[in-house]
Amino acid sequence: KSRTKGSQAVVSTQSTGGEPIREIAAEVGLEVDEPGTAVIDHMNYDVADTGNHVLIVAGDFTSTEVIVGASPSPVLFHGVGMAADSENPLVIDILRASDTAYSHSPDQDILEYPLAIGSSLLLVAGMQARNNARVVVFGSHDMLSDKLYNAQAQTVASTTSQEAGNRGFVSAVADWALKRNGDLRFSAIKHNKVGEEPSDAAYRITDDVEYSIIIEEMRSGKWAPFQAKDVQVEFVRIDPFVRLFLVPDSAGNFKVSFKVPDVYGVFQFKVDYDRTGYTHLFSTTQVSVRPFRHTEYERFIPSAYPYYASAFSMMGGVIVFSFLFLYHKDTKPAAKTE
Amino acid sequence: MSSPSISDVGSRLFQEYTTKTPQKLKLIDAYLGYIMATGVIQFVYCCLVGTFPFNSFLSGFISTVASFILGVCLRIQVNPSNSIIFKNISVERAFADFIFAHGVLHLVVLNFIG
Repeated sequence: KSRTKGSQAVVSTQSTGGEPIREIAAEVGLEVDEPGTAVIDHMNYDVADTGNHVLIVAGDFTSTEVIVGASPSPVLFHGVGMAADSENPLVIDILRASDTAYSHSPDQDILEYPLAIGSSLLLVAGMQARNNARVVVFGSHDMLSDKLYNAQAQTVASTTSQEAGNRGFVSAVADWALKRNGDLRFSAIKHNKVGEEPSDAAYRITDDVEYSIIIEEMRSGKWAPFQAKDVQVEFVRIDPFVRLFLVPDSAGNFKVSFKVPDVYGVFQFKVDYDRTGYTHLFSTTQVSVRPFRHTEYERFIPSAYPYYASAFSMMGGVIVFSFLFLYHKDTKPAAKTE
Repeated sequence: MSSPSISDVGSRLFQEYTTKTPQKLKLIDAYLGYIMATGVIQFVYCCLVGTFPFNSFLSGFISTVASFILGVCLRIQVNPSNSIIFKNISVERAFADFIFAHGVLHLVVLNFIG
């Protein structure tokens, strides 16, 4: 079942980019710097730079592998920078500028504080909305060009050059943006009392239940079993009474079994999985939990044995006493003393 | 005459009791003592262990208390020195009442003990 409404977008702009693209970026929480500005880095510019230090080598990637791949190589960038509100929980900073970078027009004196500097300045940024649709904005057209795909990256400070990581990086990010990577879906939620088939009957307190859900992940355009160790299920009646990790098998079937708490009421099995770069999975299944029936309590309570004993001893005492009382023969009482 | 002290009263009471009390009444007194002992043991147990299950505790404890009361009633009615008050109640009648009341008591106790 697809969790996404809406569609995906991959957008790129540059220093001379026009207003419509800037407005699209602003809609998703990214403020692109003004026309004419560029990302300038006087310490990490490439050896092929023409003098303004705007062709830079950037290597500060997000740690989310599903977006940028396992270990991306530094990329060449020549474009405009973006800033996002640090409190925006939906924006993902995919490629940040290095600590020595800033965003400003290369031709003008710096008279006021730039839009952003250092690692707050974003070169490539993405956003996953609450409907799981994704948008990525690249701040540089050139970064996507054949010229930079085939170029070598070497900062002025280093003596070795390596192949620019643009091709791999851009493919990975575009795959993520277009949902060929990092999309999740769930199916086949099953819950039942251990040893029984699933049924509509209510569970009882202190029953053993097992819950399973199948989660699949889109990898390179194909659905494959999802293998994560941090998916949790909660057993919630307003507050969670139980919260456990689900254990996946190789087919993507996530399972756990637990004992229903000693509380009756209407509960929900909740799976709420929200990780950077993955779609937000949310599923609830409502079940009832009933208390013990009259016949399901233990018959004799061990801590009450003394009371049982006393009740029966009273009965026994009456019987013994009655025998003695009835068959008692009075012996003459002692003579009264005067 | 010096006024009698507590120990004087106590020893006089004990002496009168052992010599003048009919054996039948002493029998009832022994029975009552046994009932009181089981009642006290139960109560102490409940204080130590807690009141779960409360209905069982109440049932067991009330069983001892009620048996004690019925025994006391029997003793009063059977005591020859009280025969003036209980003119129309023979010893047999008193005992029959005692047994009937015990029947009802144990029925209720077994129901409530859970």
